[in-house]
Amino acid sequence: MPEYIKFVDVTKCDGCRACMVACKNWNDLPVATEEYSGSIQSHEKVNAYTWNVITYTEHETADGGFEWLFRHQSCLHCVEAACEKACPEDAISHTEFGSVVVDHDKCVGCGYCVQNCIFDVIELATYKDKNGKEYRKAQKCTLCTDRLEQGLLPACVRACHSGCLQYGKKEEILAEAEKRLEKVKERFPNANIYNPPGINGSATVYLLAEKPSVYGLPEDPKLPASLTLWKDYLRPASKALMGVTLTAVLGAVIANARNKGPEEQEGGQDNQ
Amino acid sequence: MVIGANPAENHPISFRWIQKALDKGATLISVDPRYTRTSQMANIYAQLRSGTDIAFIGGMINYVLQNELYPKDYVVHYTNAAHIVAETYSFDDGLFSGYDPETRSYDKSQWAFETDENGNIKRDPTLQHPRCVFQLLKKHYSRYDVDTVCNVTGTDKETYLKICEIYGSTGRMDKAGTILYAMGGTQHTVGSQNIRAYAILQMLLGNIGIQGGGVNALRGESNVQGSTDFALLYHDTPGYMGMPTTVDPTYEDFLNRITPKSGFKTNFPKFFTSLLKCYYGDNARPDNEFGYQFHPKITNGKNYSFLRMFDAMYRGEIEGLLLFGSNPVIGGANTYKLQEALGNLKWMVAVDLFETETSAFWQKAAGKDPASVQTEVIFLPACSSYEKEGSVTNSGRWMQYRWQAIKPKGESKPDLEIVHMLARRLKDLYKNEDTPAARPINALYWNYGDSDHPDIDLVCREINGYEWETKKQVSGFGELKDDGSTACGNWIYSGFYPGDENLAKRRDNKDTGMGNFLNWAYAWPANRRVIYNRASADPTGKPWSKDRIGIYWDEAQGKWVGNDVPDFVATKGPDDPTFNDPFIMQPDGKGAIFSAAMNEGPFPEHYEPYENPIKNVFSSVNLNPAVQLGDKALNTAGDISKYPIIATTYRVSEHWQSGIMTRNVPWLAELMPYMYVEISEELAKEKGIKPKDEVIISTARGEIKAYAMITKRFKPYKINGKTFHHIGMPWHYGYKGIATGEIANRLTPHIGDANSTIPEYKAFLCDIRRA
Repeated sequence: MPEYIKFVDVTKCDGCRACMVACKNWNDLPVATEEYSGSIQSHEKVNAYTWNVITYTEHETADGGFEWLFRHQSCLHCVEAACEKACPEDAISHTEFGSVVVDHDKCVGCGYCVQNCIFDVIELATYKDKNGKEYRKAQKCTLCTDRLEQGLLPACVRACHSGCLQYGKKEEILAEAEKRLEKVKERFPNANIYNPPGINGSATVYLLAEKPSVYGLPEDPKLPASLTLWKDYLRPASKALMGVTLTAVLGAVIANARNKGPEEQEGGQDNQ
Repeated sequence: MVIGANPAENHPISFRWIQKALDKGATLISVDPRYTRTSQMANIYAQLRSGTDIAFIGGMINYVLQNELYPKDYVVHYTNAAHIVAETYSFDDGLFSGYDPETRSYDKSQWAFETDENGNIKRDPTLQHPRCVFQLLKKHYSRYDVDTVCNVTGTDKETYLKICEIYGSTGRMDKAGTILYAMGGTQHTVGSQNIRAYAILQMLLGNIGIQGGGVNALRGESNVQGSTDFALLYHDTPGYMGMPTTVDPTYEDFLNRITPKSGFKTNFPKFFTSLLKCYYGDNARPDNEFGYQFHPKITNGKNYSFLRMFDAMYRGEIEGLLLFGSNPVIGGANTYKLQEALGNLKWMVAVDLFETETSAFWQKAAGKDPASVQTEVIFLPACSSYEKEGSVTNSGRWMQYRWQAIKPKGESKPDLEIVHMLARRLKDLYKNEDTPAARPINALYWNYGDSDHPDIDLVCREINGYEWETKKQVSGFGELKDDGSTACGNWIYSGFYPGDENLAKRRDNKDTGMGNFLNWAYAWPANRRVIYNRASADPTGKPWSKDRIGIYWDEAQGKWVGNDVPDFVATKGPDDPTFNDPFIMQPDGKGAIFSAAMNEGPFPEHYEPYENPIKNVFSSVNLNPAVQLGDKALNTAGDISKYPIIATTYRVSEHWQSGIMTRNVPWLAELMPYMYVEISEELAKEKGIKPKDEVIISTARGEIKAYAMITKRFKPYKINGKTFHHIGMPWHYGYKGIATGEIANRLTPHIGDANSTIPEYKAFLCDIRRA
């Protein structure tokens, strides 16, 4: 099967937010109205109940110009996904579509994924069982994997009228993206394609009009070495040898390390 | 060029096509008081002060004339630029000749053309005669030099010149420029003349009748075009034939008034008689003026528009009100007063999807003591567009049929069914009565089925028209007769249902050439996609450009052919003296750069809004001299000394109209949950307003509270040497539904345009302070 990706050409986004409504509609997500933000942005960022958000950034350019930058913010579906590596229950995995999804039967709501996500995307949703007891599950954009399985486009892509959101064969899309990049550079000299090599790329690729940091994205995100160490070496060994308790303790150590925030983690200098 | 519109936010699906044009290399210009989502998508953004479109466009007209960017062949042959204007016409210090300050109106006969002994208009194709339209236009707009214009509009001069140059380049006949406008253009005391100014610029640049040209209204609602076509407004009948008034005592008088001596409208008697036949059936006969006396007649000269209706209601002259999908407490102007006016009604019937602020105007939430309101309010639940079938007509005049997706919820009904039931009850109520009130109702031919559930297909067939005796549908308006042998509900739509196929249901999305998609739905008239498309070919009948073929004269076949249905007699060849008369709805066939039809003059002239921040720079006349002022109790105006800030209102993508359909949808309410006011960083600093503060906006009409949205997208203007601040507010909010907020139209002035009487929602004065 050829590789497919979602492509977000922010220079074609007109900020209409149909993608947000389509997402809530298809995924049957609840209303999560936030306090007045001071701008027309409805949510500070994506969260467990709102899986994509259009961000509106008023940006003064270096030459004194003004740009009102819109970005469809949602899960990037990293090829090397921190959430997947951090999950002690193997609840998070990649699908055949390249999407990163949470298996809610396995998710225990520990929140390691939340603490480790480089892009601050995944969050815990709170539910109540029939006895009124609260429990939590990690939630985020699934790239509408359930739609992809049926041969449908992701709901946000389907709703997008301006051509900002696309879904298609990776090679073709990236080739088109390069052409588009050249074109938009006339107006946006800092435009770039955001497909971070530090996480081996992502299944949601952006064409950004400005530097990633202008949109609140890490410039060169990398997976912390600790996570790789944990996921691929320590945890399998500890699970096999020492049992679950110690695994959890180690997990907590990892989580604390990750709490320093994305910038400090850059380069994976953490040596735990 | 988008001016007075914001398609990225308010017509997002239209923006899909704008984006496709951009992908193909088009240049998009956004002209708006504030930097909108459309401005962000545009290549060029220009700020203009709200209410100064005529200055802005007048300056462009001047630029095009001074730099000779116009296509002379087009202008000479297809517009009335060469017509000689009578000596009675003059213009001096803001006033045209024939003005009567008492009635605030003009004697328009003074704006006539000079005619020869045979009554033909005199022309000078060299465009040199000092009284030819071209020279008068040039003289009129020579006053609109770049510096004066930018001084009035507050636009950056360099940006303005760039726009003049780029848009002026569409005067080349191998290029096209289109103007998109919406309520930002119309909702002014000079609204109609704003649009006239766009039209003059487009005619001057040869951008009318050609593919990719035109003056395109982005409608505020999916079926504004359709409802206007079907005479939603008081002064018209279906198909724009005018309204019988008290100066038309007989049918003959009426026909004489509405029928010109030349041009396509000479067919009006056929169309109107067919309309009367459709209304009154066998009760419309040659011996009773085809039932003309059953038709309502309005008092000549009386204005029955929205504003004047509320004036009358405020004075207690109106007993009852039927509201279909209308929420004037949110959507009207100066709505504190409108709410009072509603309290003078004996009864009101509101038909809507949700309880509106208007149907709840008597409640405590509206600030009323319910016990003190005597109006009896009846609410009828209407169903949504997905719960019924029928057509909507878009800005391109495409009548597109839509099917029912789900059955109506609860007791809700389609509007058609509600009207049908009402008509049946009325006919039953009056059937044994012979009074002036009862006669038209008894005469009414109402044949949409014998149950309370009407057959919409019968309505469609009647709109198309049919032979009365055989009930056979006509193939188009060409078959309509003035002898009572045909019936037709709306001549402009005649032809959409010629046999057994309702062409509005067509969904063939194959491009039949030049993006016309002739087999998709049905465009009135006669399925033409670009009206006046004769102008897409040069005076010899050849296309102006190989890459932009509308229609052209095929000598071999002896007819007009091409990518569109000719908006012209198909066999009219070069030998015909009217071969170069593309504007067939005009008596002279020429595009009206000069027009005596408008109430305030043949050329648009800049006047300041009702509440003006500066004295008019162009003349000593501040307010449009033809504006009717209305009832003093409602038209309160504020002064710059007390209200120093310019204000405007608008919509957002997430809400629609009075918000009643969107503020009740949780996922939409979530996106735009709060009423806010946009203010510049500079004004915030001056007033000590911090982000997220609540502020009070006040005008001469009242005060409201809103959240402050401090933004770089609003910048103060430099107007006539002085700095002015401006603010803007969405007008969607009210006290019903999930997302609630205070009503922006509490603040807007109750004054309207001199032609359409649309209220001036877009430019008024206010003050702002921290709450």
